[in-house]
Amino acid sequence: MTTPAQTQIRGMGHSVKRKEDPRFLRGRGHYVDDIKLPGMLYMDIARSPYAHAKILNIDASKALALPGVLAVITGKDLDAAGLAWMPTLMSDKQMVLPVDRVVYQAQEVAAVIATDRYIAADAITLIDVEYEPLPPVVDPIKALEPDAPLVRPDREQKTNHIWHWEAGDAGKTDEAFNSAEVVVAQDLYIPRIHVSSIETCGCVASFDKVEGKLTVYMTTQAPHAIRTVFSLVSGIPEHKIRIISPDIGGGFGGKVPVYPGYVIASVASIQTGLPIKWIEDRSENLQADSFARDYHIHAELAAKRDGTMQALRVKTIADHGAFDAAANPSKFPAGLFSVITGSYALDAAHVEVDGVYTNKPSGGVAYRCSFRVTEAVHTIERMVDTLAQQLHMDPADIRMKNFIPPDAFPYKSATGWEYDSGNYPAALQKAMDKVGYAELRREQAEKRARGELMGIGISTFTEIVGAGPSNTFDILGIKMFDSAEIRVHPTGSAIVRIGVQTQGQGHETTFAQIVAEELGLPVENIAVEHGDTDTAPYGLGTYASRSTPTAGAATAVAARKIRDKAKKLAAHLLEASEDDIEWSDYKFQVKGVPSRSVTMQQVAFAAYTNHPQGMEAGLEAVDYYDPPNLTFPFGAYICVVDIDRGTGEVKIRRFVAIDDCGNVINPMIVEGQIHGGLTMGMAPALLEAITYDENGNIQQGNLMEYLLPTAMETPVWETDRTVTPSPHHPFGAKGVGESATVGAPPAIANAVVDALSHLGVTHLDIPITPWKVYAILQEHGATEV
Amino acid sequence: MHFEGTQQINAPITTVWRYINDPDKVAACAPGFKTMEILGPDHFKPTIAVGIGAVKATFTLDVRRIDVNEPTHAAMTARGNAAGSAVEMRATMDLAADSDSLTTMAWVADVNISGTIASVGARLMEGTAHKLTAKFFDCFRQNIEAPSAEEPSQAPAT
Repeated sequence: MTTPAQTQIRGMGHSVKRKEDPRFLRGRGHYVDDIKLPGMLYMDIARSPYAHAKILNIDASKALALPGVLAVITGKDLDAAGLAWMPTLMSDKQMVLPVDRVVYQAQEVAAVIATDRYIAADAITLIDVEYEPLPPVVDPIKALEPDAPLVRPDREQKTNHIWHWEAGDAGKTDEAFNSAEVVVAQDLYIPRIHVSSIETCGCVASFDKVEGKLTVYMTTQAPHAIRTVFSLVSGIPEHKIRIISPDIGGGFGGKVPVYPGYVIASVASIQTGLPIKWIEDRSENLQADSFARDYHIHAELAAKRDGTMQALRVKTIADHGAFDAAANPSKFPAGLFSVITGSYALDAAHVEVDGVYTNKPSGGVAYRCSFRVTEAVHTIERMVDTLAQQLHMDPADIRMKNFIPPDAFPYKSATGWEYDSGNYPAALQKAMDKVGYAELRREQAEKRARGELMGIGISTFTEIVGAGPSNTFDILGIKMFDSAEIRVHPTGSAIVRIGVQTQGQGHETTFAQIVAEELGLPVENIAVEHGDTDTAPYGLGTYASRSTPTAGAATAVAARKIRDKAKKLAAHLLEASEDDIEWSDYKFQVKGVPSRSVTMQQVAFAAYTNHPQGMEAGLEAVDYYDPPNLTFPFGAYICVVDIDRGTGEVKIRRFVAIDDCGNVINPMIVEGQIHGGLTMGMAPALLEAITYDENGNIQQGNLMEYLLPTAMETPVWETDRTVTPSPHHPFGAKGVGESATVGAPPAIANAVVDALSHLGVTHLDIPITPWKVYAILQEHGATEV
Repeated sequence: MHFEGTQQINAPITTVWRYINDPDKVAACAPGFKTMEILGPDHFKPTIAVGIGAVKATFTLDVRRIDVNEPTHAAMTARGNAAGSAVEMRATMDLAADSDSLTTMAWVADVNISGTIASVGARLMEGTAHKLTAKFFDCFRQNIEAPSAEEPSQAPAT
């Protein structure tokens, strides 16, 4: 039942069309590269052909002789200003421009400032760099050998080992393994992949010499954190730095780190007093920007013979490239990887990760995955299937048997997380009913008898998002709260400013819906602003599905502060005691007397025109929300694949996705997030991987080689949901942006292994390419001629 | 990348040896050859343009002849840069006289290519390298066998 007021307000639960879409659909989005400032100069960057080399000399004379070239900036120039290195978000440091050595291919070597983008591009080809090649190390396991080339001689510690991290109880876990009836073990490699946003990275840096103020328009997911880091590194007072993150053409974690180009452009602008634009090209973006995944995992699962899972033991080598420039919360160098026990009730678990340097660009970006959760979910979901296969159990049955029971929440996991809420059996049952699981198993048996290959794969994942509570979560010491500021104007419209930054999530719509719901103002009368550090309240930005759990919560709490004051105004207008006023159907009314009521619009007008004596005028509030816990969205995905025995191609016939992200603000946006996320989850399962040859040459430096999914490969996604609200979030939401990317890959991998299991296949590393499958079919004489 | 091959040339070993010791004549067969600077009897700086797929680059090479054992063996190293790319090569060549007028040439080359050409043109690189190598030796043989060795044909630029 919808009331007329609900129809008018369109708050929580309405599929409000996205407010941002009219400008995007009409080509009127305003991205960094759309910014043109008077007198603007252009920057391009010369990059290293070698993965590891000494720089003997840089001769820029020919580049400087080209008409239109104003300057060539090298590491030595930056070194003189103390800016050749910059801190990373992981307490490592990173070269802005190298002084005497390069440590990965496509690393920035020198920058050209010119009057024109094309002149800058021509000029970088004229810079003569003399290198002395050094042997590179591209394999993290070889990098740990004692005679491996040293990637980072600048460090005191003369090894390629960065850090060791562990979680869980080693003793208890070993004990469980020692007495286990069944143990399955598996090596898994989650390959390096790239976010490949449609918009590459770039900035326009503009220093006003009169004001002494630096404004940087930048493709960033976390403008405030960047401002603070810029201030600390440059010494420019923080109020003299303004970071503006305009429309962003996809972030996915790749736009959290600070890239050298931002810093070089800022230095060039400070020196010239002119605006400098730097925009990467596609290949630069693909070759040099930070990467995701690249985890070498060894996992073991202990169980009883009846399929009861008992303990999990995991050892991982994490390839972080040449700089540890990931964007994890400071205390979590391996992110939230310890959520690896997933949706299952385990007695014990122990997880170890060792971070390693190699001669590759930085790794560790949380690509649409709340800090290493994709790697964790892939591991546990594959291990559950491995165990089922070993015990000849159905993968759905083994999951049902081992789920954390719905009445066990809040549930403390074996690695220490407190899961807020969940109902895993309900989600899996709904998925099984929707897909027709029993019927599919019958079909599979028939087809198998005829030699046809069909597989059914399940993934019942638990996500961990919404970083995070300030007692454990910070980035460089800045606590991971988030913020909202709401001002209600006299005529009853409002502006909301938030500390998070949209990159396509639809914040301008969903945050307006939160305020509409809480204040009873129509959604179209609420403007949402974000991304400008001069106006937005301080926040840590958007990634890790944290916007709704943190800034969304802040928005609701700020709105409730406003409603508290509005109630006093309503009492004044209705000439009643505040105690006799109630908020009902989006308006204030005298308890039990619906005819005596005032709307929020009337109250807002009174706040500026007719407020009681002694009360402060205006109607606004700010909230900095420190979440009491993380949120744990979950889902059950079932994938049905057919395998072409002539080509080895995996065809996704059906994919049913049941997601539970708690209470939903905008069902249409959630569905869109799931569709996009599933496609981005299918891609690494079947298509994407970045590899390097022994010399450190990236093998997928363009989109011919790096296979992004297109509409051709994307199946019809069948989505639905269950709703298990978060008990600690102000309106019971959990965040959804990353669930599908995290949950989809193991469903697909499990389906392919299932299709080939009768041939003795127990595991396949992703991406499962046609060639990989065809080789297996050939080996078993199962190809179709 | 590793390449090797043998071919028979209808010429005496001394003629072949003289030919491979004349940098101008060798360079004339190098696909995409543009200019050559001779820095010493065993040290040259040729400039060579190559294209792999959509990527075109002009390499300035530093070539040194090493390990020369007249008239049967020669080796060379080459290192060069182009914008965003680099190449390193080590090659050896062995000659054997099959008869007074027939010489067998065996060659081995190891080539490392780094940077834009390697990463953007990876898929086409091996094939292109084979094609260019074949073209080079074919031109070389034809020129030696040509009636007038003073007017060598030019390899088409690529």
